[in-house]
Amino acid sequence: MLTFITLLVIACVPTQKLTIAGNVDLNDLQPLATPANRQTSALRVAIAAVISPKGTVESYAPLLRYLEEKLNRPVELIQRRTYMEINDLIAHGQVDMAFVCTSAYIQGHDTFGMELLVAPQVNGKTTYNSFLIVPANSLARSMADLRGKVFAFTDPISLSGRVYPTYLVQQLGFTPEEFFSRTFYTYSHDEAIRAIASGLADGAAVDSLVYAFMLERDPALREKLKVIHTSPDFGIPPVVVNPAIRPQIKHELKSILLEMANDAAAQEALKSIGVERFVPISDEIYQSARELMRTLLLFNQP
Amino acid sequence: MMKKIFEKFWSIAGAVSVCTKILGIVLGSTLLLGTGVIFQARAAFQATMMRLLEEQSISAARDLAARAADPILLNDLVYLQNLLDETVKNSPNVRYAFLLDPQGQIIAHTFHGGFPLALLSLNTVAATSHHHTVLIRTNEGLVWDTAVPILNRKVGIARVGVTDLSVQRVLSELTLQLGLTMLVVSVAGILVAALLTLILTRPIQELLQATREVAKGNFAVRVKRWADDELGDLADAFNQMSEQLALTENLRREREWLRRQLLEKVIASQEEERRRIARELHDSTSQNLTSLIVGLRMIEENCRQCPAQPKALELRAVASRTLEEVHELSLRLRPRILDDLGLAAALERLAAEWEARYKIPIDVAIRLNERLPGAVETAIYRIVQEALTNIVRHAQAHSASILIERRGNMLRAIIEDDGIGFDPQTRFGEHHLGLLGMRERAELLGGKLVIESAPGAGTSLLIEIPLSTLSSE
Repeated sequence: MLTFITLLVIACVPTQKLTIAGNVDLNDLQPLATPANRQTSALRVAIAAVISPKGTVESYAPLLRYLEEKLNRPVELIQRRTYMEINDLIAHGQVDMAFVCTSAYIQGHDTFGMELLVAPQVNGKTTYNSFLIVPANSLARSMADLRGKVFAFTDPISLSGRVYPTYLVQQLGFTPEEFFSRTFYTYSHDEAIRAIASGLADGAAVDSLVYAFMLERDPALREKLKVIHTSPDFGIPPVVVNPAIRPQIKHELKSILLEMANDAAAQEALKSIGVERFVPISDEIYQSARELMRTLLLFNQP
Repeated sequence: MMKKIFEKFWSIAGAVSVCTKILGIVLGSTLLLGTGVIFQARAAFQATMMRLLEEQSISAARDLAARAADPILLNDLVYLQNLLDETVKNSPNVRYAFLLDPQGQIIAHTFHGGFPLALLSLNTVAATSHHHTVLIRTNEGLVWDTAVPILNRKVGIARVGVTDLSVQRVLSELTLQLGLTMLVVSVAGILVAALLTLILTRPIQELLQATREVAKGNFAVRVKRWADDELGDLADAFNQMSEQLALTENLRREREWLRRQLLEKVIASQEEERRRIARELHDSTSQNLTSLIVGLRMIEENCRQCPAQPKALELRAVASRTLEEVHELSLRLRPRILDDLGLAAALERLAAEWEARYKIPIDVAIRLNERLPGAVETAIYRIVQEALTNIVRHAQAHSASILIERRGNMLRAIIEDDGIGFDPQTRFGEHHLGLLGMRERAELLGGKLVIESAPGAGTSLLIEIPLSTLSSE
């Protein structure tokens, strides 16, 4: 009886049929071919890490696809962790066009002649501000109240994320190292906003455009954050080109970008990055920011 | 076919002892069950572990994809390499991990000194899929390879391979463990079976012994009731049977004793009757006949010329013949000589008369120094008388012999002839030849009678009668 039951049980075990996709010898290692030279004909577009790399890909994908169609050539997206790395790529001619931060433009313009192409217009303006934000339940009402707290900077050369808050601290007579108990870099504005929302930092200064964009995308953030200080207007982060770019390409790019507002096919791309239209721009608009940076540099170099 | 197999099985299983059978049952069951359990456990464990490995492969690939997106976008190759190396290092089952860019070019991988290119084409994933997992056979065993798209494949694909090496190892350990357990259980089973066998076979052994005792005639033997089971019932039944047999045997003995008593009395009264008739014939009838003969002679001598003289002569001859016959009859019924001079003289006279009458030479050797108890003398005399009658009637013998001797407390008589013999196995012969009566006479005195004969080889009767028991009577 026992024997019978045992046999029955054995017979009833479902024999899991596993399909084998293929055979591989894991020790049969072959040298990898050197990657084919990255599409030399591609237009190389760099985007500064205003928002995190993943967010950038998602937001800028329609715009890049639009450019590919218009130019009839592939567009290669290049991202780096810091603004300075992007500036270096532009300076060395490894990037044709770039979306950079205001301070990165000023640094690039003043050191190697980075050229303005167009500027995005948001809410009818080509300026933006630095918002000093704190958690919604914070008692802080100005920078002075954030003394001894944890502060999140975005990028070392970000105007709204580092230069302006540093300026505010200096106005109070301190260096950030003295004033805050601890500071850290998030390398992008959306991460700084998330750092405040999650309580990782007690305060941060962020790009007003990114702030508005994030709040629109994730309304739940409204409950968690509040703005306690707004900076004066600064010139909006522009679209720039490598100074060595061929003039025809520069012209072509400029006209495509300027025409986007009138092209029904471009609306999705504009909406995805939260821009109404691209408009021509001159260097004067960045003068206030430039002066602020100079003050800071003087202050920084005793 | 089945019957043949069963017969073969039974010829083996039926021939071994109960102990071996029980051990066989226990050991067979344990081994069979153990083997079944091992197979079952292995199969179930393997199936579960393979599912877990598949899940691990998926989760590792998902994790890698989530963490690799930003570094890929930022072209942070050092970080990516560390991420991959950690993915492999931190989970022992992950054999490899690598990242592909949207064009299918390898960004970074964990193989050292090259890449198994065959791996590339074995798995891919659609941009909108959560993941895609396949099973790949490698030289190191099976590998669950999962591909996960990074940002809908805009950034690339993460691939992770999880081997089943650890599962195989654990499986071997499990099998070994189960095997050892089975071994231990088998040993324990043998011990238990040995104990059971002892419990089971001990009463059987005892019953066997007791049965042999009963077969020998010892009805007093009783077996112990070991347990309240069938064997216990068997023991009870056996004891009942023994009691019944003892009762029956007693009854039989009593009857036998009564029968012997009766036989003894019959024989004794028969002898007494013969003796009385013989005496009567001798004392009265013979005397009368003698008187008659004397009277007739007187008539003969006194009346020589009478016409009745010849008739008287004739009558005297008849009377003389009748006297002779009466004499002989009396002798045969109960020879006086047996009572007066003893067995030796009686037998010698019997043999002499027999030899004279039937013309068969007979050799008589009687070695007795004294008179024997009357019953023994009568029995031996009658047995010899019957034996000689048989020889005349059936044996067609040319000669015969009688030997009577005393050996210690045993009287021994041997009567032999060189006749045609017979087969003593046929009971017909015994009955017919009056052997039963002879044997009974011997047995009544506590003795025995043995017949040795074969067709064509003569017949020999051996009678032995103990004398001590009789002298003590």
